[in-house]
Amino acid sequence: MFNLRDKGAEIWENQGRIGRIVIAVGAIAIVAALPFMGGTFLNTPVADYESVLVYPIAMFVLMAIGLNIVIGKSGLLDLGYVAFFAIGAYTMGLLGTKTDLNTWEILPIGIAMAMFSGIILGVPALKLRGDYLAIITLGFGEIVRIVALNLGALGRSEGIQGIPTPPGIFGIEYAFDSHRIYYWTLLILILLAIWMVRRLSARRAGRAWESIRQDEDAAELLGVPTFKYKVWAFVLGASVGGAAGVLYASKTLFIAPDNFTLQISILILACVVFGGMGNIWGVILGAVILGYLPDRIRFLSEARLLVFGLVLVIMMNLRPDGILPRKKREKAIVKKDAS
Amino acid sequence: MIGNFLDQFWSLTFGGLSLGFIYILIALGYTMVYGVLRMINFANSEIFMVGTFATIIIIRDLFKFTQVSEYATGFRLWLILGTALIFAMLVSGILSMLVEMVAYRRLRRMNSGVLAPLISAIGVSMVLSESVRILTDSRPVASPRAMEKKFLGQFFDAGIRIDNTIIVISALVLFAILITFVNKTRMGKAIRAVSMNPNAARLMGINIDGVISATFLVGGLMTGAAGFFYTLKYENTSAFIGFELGIAAFTAAILGGIGNIKGAFYGGLALGLLETYASFFLGTQWKAVTVFIVLVLVLYTKPNGLFGEALTQTRA
Amino acid sequence: MNKSLIELKNVTMKFGGVTALSDVTFDVKEKEILGLIGPNGAGKTTVFNVITGVYQITSGEIIFDGKSLAGVKRYKITKRGIARTFQNIRLWGDMTALENVMTAADTHKKSGLVSGLFGFPISRREEKRDKARAQELLDFIGIGEYSDRLAKNLPYGVQRRLEIARAMGAEPKLLLLDEPAAGFNPAEKVELAATIRKIRDAGYTVLLIEHDMSLVMKVSDRVVVLDFGQKIADDSPRNVQDDKRVIEAYLGVPEDAS
Repeated sequence: MFNLRDKGAEIWENQGRIGRIVIAVGAIAIVAALPFMGGTFLNTPVADYESVLVYPIAMFVLMAIGLNIVIGKSGLLDLGYVAFFAIGAYTMGLLGTKTDLNTWEILPIGIAMAMFSGIILGVPALKLRGDYLAIITLGFGEIVRIVALNLGALGRSEGIQGIPTPPGIFGIEYAFDSHRIYYWTLLILILLAIWMVRRLSARRAGRAWESIRQDEDAAELLGVPTFKYKVWAFVLGASVGGAAGVLYASKTLFIAPDNFTLQISILILACVVFGGMGNIWGVILGAVILGYLPDRIRFLSEARLLVFGLVLVIMMNLRPDGILPRKKREKAIVKKDAS
Repeated sequence: MIGNFLDQFWSLTFGGLSLGFIYILIALGYTMVYGVLRMINFANSEIFMVGTFATIIIIRDLFKFTQVSEYATGFRLWLILGTALIFAMLVSGILSMLVEMVAYRRLRRMNSGVLAPLISAIGVSMVLSESVRILTDSRPVASPRAMEKKFLGQFFDAGIRIDNTIIVISALVLFAILITFVNKTRMGKAIRAVSMNPNAARLMGINIDGVISATFLVGGLMTGAAGFFYTLKYENTSAFIGFELGIAAFTAAILGGIGNIKGAFYGGLALGLLETYASFFLGTQWKAVTVFIVLVLVLYTKPNGLFGEALTQTRA
Repeated sequence: MNKSLIELKNVTMKFGGVTALSDVTFDVKEKEILGLIGPNGAGKTTVFNVITGVYQITSGEIIFDGKSLAGVKRYKITKRGIARTFQNIRLWGDMTALENVMTAADTHKKSGLVSGLFGFPISRREEKRDKARAQELLDFIGIGEYSDRLAKNLPYGVQRRLEIARAMGAEPKLLLLDEPAAGFNPAEKVELAATIRKIRDAGYTVLLIEHDMSLVMKVSDRVVVLDFGQKIADDSPRNVQDDKRVIEAYLGVPEDAS
């Protein structure tokens, strides 16, 4: 387990530019080819394999990357992440059925709505201590669901039906049951999110978040505008959740408050914790495993949430850094110098 | 609307008071643990939920009540209620201690910061609520009525219902016992010492782990009692009930100043009344939203609570 | 004499009923090393905390570089040119030594998230320059070889020095050092004294809290002595050492014990 991370880091860091491109392209190609492997041992007996790739797996991965910005990077416990997913989905649902806008036009609006609510919630909540933030976000996630359940405009418990699929682009048509097209679309979003997170982590923002996570007071006293960066982390996390929500609504074509329960927040949290808070590859791996296994192993699918709860307790107590912990840059670099 | 409100004012008030006392007891579970650990006991809501099921087990399965049974009276009624109360308290109390051992103890020894125990406690509450959900097939469970819900008398136009009366009186008694325990007994004093200054308490030879266990036990006992009272009043529960009651009771604890036992009392009453009045005007579907707004406003404007004296002086 | 960089005027700091600082007035001149000493609990670290905005003073005034610091946010105080070290080391352990310094150096950065995200040339150039500058600072303090090591894995003495380098990363005019020699052996102390002088010669002003008298007396241009939250002396090292009240404060006379 330990070696998995260091080995990966070592191989990557010892490659030249071309080697890295080859590795990246190869990895993307393998991941993109997954829909064709339904006939193999990967097949899921519980649900349709290709739809499992879209939801939960790809959706979980995207959301876990978003939540990781908040929890893993800056150490803020957000227990209401589902709220941003719901806001994205309802934006798609409302605008998709009430206006002529299509999915691609609504996507930025949904992201903006999620970011806006991130600011509304974050600005007061991020001034508070960490555990108060946890309970405020927990409440917020549930409030969004209750509002959807009780507002006539949002369809109450009926939700919103007849949400349009995305219009075709470049000759690719989105049919309701063409799961692999959605899967590839999500894959592009995931790559964009990875690019964004890696880009930011390597620079000033990443350092600021890291310092906040490790010692917020020291950060503030050494000139890091901690509040600003916490809001940014929160809002960026929200934007990814919002994007996932828009795609989700445009895929299922029907959304209801029941799709956006507190449990989703906990599921995504479990993915992040299981994979390794703060390490984007760990988080992705965690989301893939926790998204996939319940559909692969039948008895897990009934007790999915129970298992996820156990995952949280066990990981925190025995391996709090997750299966693929935060990269410790030091080791890889020292090795490179030695060689 | 206002006229209706005035007509119903006293009956709303009585309902709000008994709800308030239920909140007080759950809030004690939050506030006491917060006092010694400076951490939110996220699993407390599910400990409450288990308490409601413990109550139903006694009434329905031990005393074989069904929806069509005749009401119990006299000694038998008090025996049933007493057994259910004590059983609910014990189950919740012991469960609460177990939660501490599983979710917090190891992490505390590892000195792991704030995030890890929070997540671990969230995991435990997930396990509890999911286990019960699977056992109950996701359905709400009704509690058979063992006691006829008579009116004891009139106050203005409002009837004083027996279950509300029992709740208020028993909760007051439990609260008084708790205050005595904290102020007069060795363990109570140790709990106070730890919440004022854990390091000093350790140096004075107090067994911190023991004190924390005891605090979870006491908090669980109170929360379990709340489970009993809730079932008595609403005659219904489900695996999902913890969340709403939990966040309301937590809000009550914050309202009164978390870590402060007397604060839980005032906060619980204030929130019980406020929520009941607000539901009258806005409809019950918005009560969770009302509670949440109260929580945000209090945390943002007066994080030490509205009723508390200075937090450091009266912590648990 | 140079002009004052920072002036504390009648600063009083009360916590509830306890007075930690009582009517304290002193200044630090530009390019000066001012030693701040006093017995335990005299209020030395409280002075750092009121200057850096950790506490809001109960009364009085703090003027830095001609402007009051009242109500200025903590990170903005750093931006104006005050940076500190911590008595109990508070580095960001999971970051490398270089990153620790760079994070503090980000204080004065204009480029925000957007340009960081899209990797505009300005941001990329800035990043390169900052890295070089941070490395220079580590070299300056004498710990350049540790730049790629995680802070938590560094030896104690290196961590103490990294605290200084990190504070210097924020490009302060005034550097507050809180017991930088704590836990050092005599040889390391001598070396540190040289480093502190070198820092001053590089153009910084230094306010130094230190328990080790010989170190303070050796490097300071002037010494301020606090006792029970009050200033009892403010003079050259030589005169302070002979001051009767200072000797009493340190040795303790019966009236103190009462």
